[in-house]
Amino acid sequence: MKSLLFLFILIQFKEEENLKCLMCHGKKDFGILKNSDFISLYVNYDDIKNSVHSKFICVNCHNDVTVIPHLTKPREIHCLQCHFEGNVVDAPVLKRPEKYKESIHSRAKTEGKKAPDCFDCHGIHNVRPPNDSLSSIFKKNIPTTCGKCHSTQRGDYEASVHWNGIKKGFLSSAVCIDCHREHDILPAEDPRSSLYPKNVLRTCEKCHGNLELMKKAGVSVKNIEAYKESFHGIALEFGVLKAANCVSCHEYHKILPQDDPLSPIHPENLPKTCGKCHPNASHNVAKGRVHLLPWERESGVVFYVYNFFKFFTIFVITALVLHILLDLYGRFRSKRYGE
Amino acid sequence: MEDSGVKDMENKNFEEEVLKEIEIEEEVLLEGKLREKIKSEIKKKYKAEFEKIKREREKKEREKRELREGEYFIRFSLNVRLQHFFLATGVLILIITGLPIKFHDALWAKVFFKLIGGIQVSRLLHRIGAVILIFVSVWHMLYLVFTKEGRMNFFELLPRKKDFKDFFQNIKFFLGLSKEPPKFGRFSYIEKFDYWAVYWGMVIMVSTGIILWFHNFFLGILPKFVIDIAKEAHSDEALLATLAILIWHFYNAHFNPDVFPFNPTIFTGKISKERMIKEHPLEYEKIIKEKEEI
Repeated sequence: MKSLLFLFILIQFKEEENLKCLMCHGKKDFGILKNSDFISLYVNYDDIKNSVHSKFICVNCHNDVTVIPHLTKPREIHCLQCHFEGNVVDAPVLKRPEKYKESIHSRAKTEGKKAPDCFDCHGIHNVRPPNDSLSSIFKKNIPTTCGKCHSTQRGDYEASVHWNGIKKGFLSSAVCIDCHREHDILPAEDPRSSLYPKNVLRTCEKCHGNLELMKKAGVSVKNIEAYKESFHGIALEFGVLKAANCVSCHEYHKILPQDDPLSPIHPENLPKTCGKCHPNASHNVAKGRVHLLPWERESGVVFYVYNFFKFFTIFVITALVLHILLDLYGRFRSKRYGE
Repeated sequence: MEDSGVKDMENKNFEEEVLKEIEIEEEVLLEGKLREKIKSEIKKKYKAEFEKIKREREKKEREKRELREGEYFIRFSLNVRLQHFFLATGVLILIITGLPIKFHDALWAKVFFKLIGGIQVSRLLHRIGAVILIFVSVWHMLYLVFTKEGRMNFFELLPRKKDFKDFFQNIKFFLGLSKEPPKFGRFSYIEKFDYWAVYWGMVIMVSTGIILWFHNFFLGILPKFVIDIAKEAHSDEALLATLAILIWHFYNAHFNPDVFPFNPTIFTGKISKERMIKEHPLEYEKIIKEKEEI
C-alpha cells in the first residue's frame, strides 16, 4: 500500500516538485561561502534527467528536506537508502553493495581514511548505466574514473597493450575492473582477492583462455595451458606462493608485447626479469621457448625429446608385456600337456 | 640347561608348583576360579616360551644341515643386498613424490599433495630420495671398480651373443617349438636387461635431476632449452622406469608363478639348490666343478 502511494506521488508531482528545488539549485552561481571559500550548490538538472534516476524527484533521496527553503543543511545521503535487500522502490540490489562492504575501499573508509564510496565511481546526479558511453563506468571511461585517485597506475596502464586494444575500439580488452573486480576489490594478500597469487592465473584466464576472444586479440590461448604445465604453475597450485605467476614476468599495469624494448619479456630484458627470482639468470634464459607444451611442434627440440620417450616407452613396455604373456602361455602349455 | 627346562614344562604339575611358590612368597591363598585362571595363564606363557625355543633350535639346525649338504648357495653378498635395499628405498620415495607432479591434474595427485602438506614437503622428500639414489650410484661405481666381487659381477653382466640366443631359445620354448629351455649362467638375459635398464635410467635421472635441482646454477651456464629438455626427459624417463618396475620387475620378482608371492633371494642372499639348478644351471655346474677341483 505504502509503495503504491509512493509511486503515485512520484509520477504525479515529479516535474513540479523538482522545479521547486531548481529555483535555487538550478542557478549556476548558487552557493555558499564557508571560511571565505565559495562552495557551489548548483545542480545541473540535465544530469538527473539523463541518469538512471530520472523518474525520481530530488526529495526521494534528500528525504529530510520537507520545507522550502530548508533551514538546515540536509544530511548526507547514501545509495543504500534504496539499494538494500527488500527495498520497495525496485532499486536493483544484486550482491553489489554487500560485495563493496568487503572491499578494501569500504574498509579504508570505516578506518576514517579517504576512500571512494559508491558515488565516487558511479557519479552523484549523473548516474548512468554501464553501457552508456557517457557513464563514468562505461568500459572506456573506467581508467579515468579509477585514475582520479590512482594516477600512477593509470599512467602505467595507458601505456599497456590492454589500453591500446581499448583505444582501437576492441572493448573486450581489459580495464581496471576486469582484473581488480568491480565492487569486491581486495588487496592481493587476501586469499579471496582476484590478485592473490593463486588466483592471478584464473583472473587472466577469463580472457586469455577464451579462444574466440584471443583469436581477435592475436594471442595464443596455449600460454595458459603451458603455464599450468610448467613447474611455476604446478608449484603455485600446490602451495608455493612465491612461485612466478603471470604478472611476475608480464608486469601488472604496464603489460607490453614481447617485441617492445620496454617490455619485461623482451629477450634483452629477460635476464633481469628472471633474475628477480633466479640470481644467476643470464642471456641464456632467452635461448629457448617460454610457455612450451612438449607435444606441440613449436616446442622445437623438446617436442622431439617428448616423442622419442613416447615411442620408446610404448615399444619397451609392449615388448615386456609380450614377454610376460609368452612366459605365462608357456607355463600354461607345459602344465596342460604335461611337458 | 634348556633340556631340563623343556622337561619341566612338560611336567603337568609345573604350574601348580609355581603358584604355590608365589602363594608362600606373597603370603596369600588363592581360591576357586581365580586360582584356575592364574594357573592357566602361567601354563600358556610357559608353553609359548617353550615353543619359541624349540622353533629357533630347529631353524638353526636346518640351516646348518643345508649349508653342510650344499642345499643352498649364497647368490648375493651383503654388499649387493644393501645396494638393492637403498636403491629400492630411494626409487620408491622418488616415484611416490615425483609422479604426482607429472600427473598434477589428476584427482589422486591433488589428494596426495593435500595429505602430505603441499609440494614443499614432497619436494623435500624427493630430494632426500635423490640423495639416496645418488649415494647408491656412487657406491655401485666404487663397488665395480674397487672390489673383486664387483668386477666379477660386472663382467658376468656384460651382454653377450649367448643372451640373444637364449632369448630366442626362450621364446621358442614358451611357444612349444622347443622342448629345452635355455640354460642360464649367473645372470639370465632377463636379469641383465633389468640391470642395464636401471643403469640407463640412473644416468638419465641423476644427470637431469641434478640440472633441475640446481637450476639456479645451471641457468647461468646452460641455454634455457637444455633445462627444458632435462625437465621433459626427467619426467618421461620417470614414467618409463615406473612402468618397467611395476610390470617387468614385479612380474619377475613377485608374480612369476615360480617365486610368488616374492623372491626373497635379494634380501636373504640365499638361493636353494633346487632353484639354482633350474634357474642358473651353468653357474651351478661351474661351482660344483670348482668344488671338486679343490
